[in-house]
Amino acid sequence: MTENKGVAKTEAQELQKQEHKEERTVAGRFFIPQTDIIENEESLIITMDLPGVKKEDVNIKLEKNILEVEGRIDYAPYEKLNPVYAEYNIGNYARRFTVSNAVDTSNIEAVLTDGVLSMTLRKAPEAKPRQIPVK
Amino acid sequence: MFGKLSSALDIALQQAVEQAKDANFFEAGTTGRGVYPFINLFEKEGDLVLAAELPGVKKEELILEVREDVLRLAGARKIEYAENCSCHRLERKGLNFDRSIKLPFRIEGGKIQAEFNDGLLMVTLPRAESDKPKQVVIK
Repeated sequence: MTENKGVAKTEAQELQKQEHKEERTVAGRFFIPQTDIIENEESLIITMDLPGVKKEDVNIKLEKNILEVEGRIDYAPYEKLNPVYAEYNIGNYARRFTVSNAVDTSNIEAVLTDGVLSMTLRKAPEAKPRQIPVK
Repeated sequence: MFGKLSSALDIALQQAVEQAKDANFFEAGTTGRGVYPFINLFEKEGDLVLAAELPGVKKEELILEVREDVLRLAGARKIEYAENCSCHRLERKGLNFDRSIKLPFRIEGGKIQAEFNDGLLMVTLPRAESDKPKQVVIK
């Protein structure tokens, strides 16, 4: 899934977003997924646990330096099941990050495998470390 | 004198917050930080359904065994990053796990169905025929 899809939004969506900026009108709870953020010379890598979320139900948006990740789960397998013993909650996932200018926002890659989402944010060329040779 | 008091308060507060996090008091994540993996058990038409969240675990590396009424779930969750990188936030944990769960009744071993998709394990555990209650006809 590339970021372009999320960024190129229609105006209708934009309007909807303005209407309820912070509130979500979706059934079910949202939880904060466990996340690792690591950095190497070329990029920032954000790894996130989203168990039970399918590729098409992940929504990654980047707007005004806010990276928003939302993963919806499918409640269908839990229908007609009576809980007997519970150790974890079942719900959707959402988390936001503020991205600095040092990131090349047009070039974000996201891969979802086995319930783990991995996003690679490339650093903007001017933000990469530069060695200055001493003459 | 006040320095000592405030540092003692800091420690006490930190401990209280950590304990609350362990117990999932804030309910920010899906679960607290106890035994791993976390499981949910459901009942469906007299049978059991077990669900477990195992993101990042490979299907081939997961061991699922049932003996009579004990279910064993074992495997490894590996989290590896390249060496020449700096970490800003590490919340996910890589670990080996081996957990046995005692179920309320015996399971029909041959009829167990397990699915593992997108890091979510769902196992249907049918109750053994020999373990089902028998209705006695009163003459």
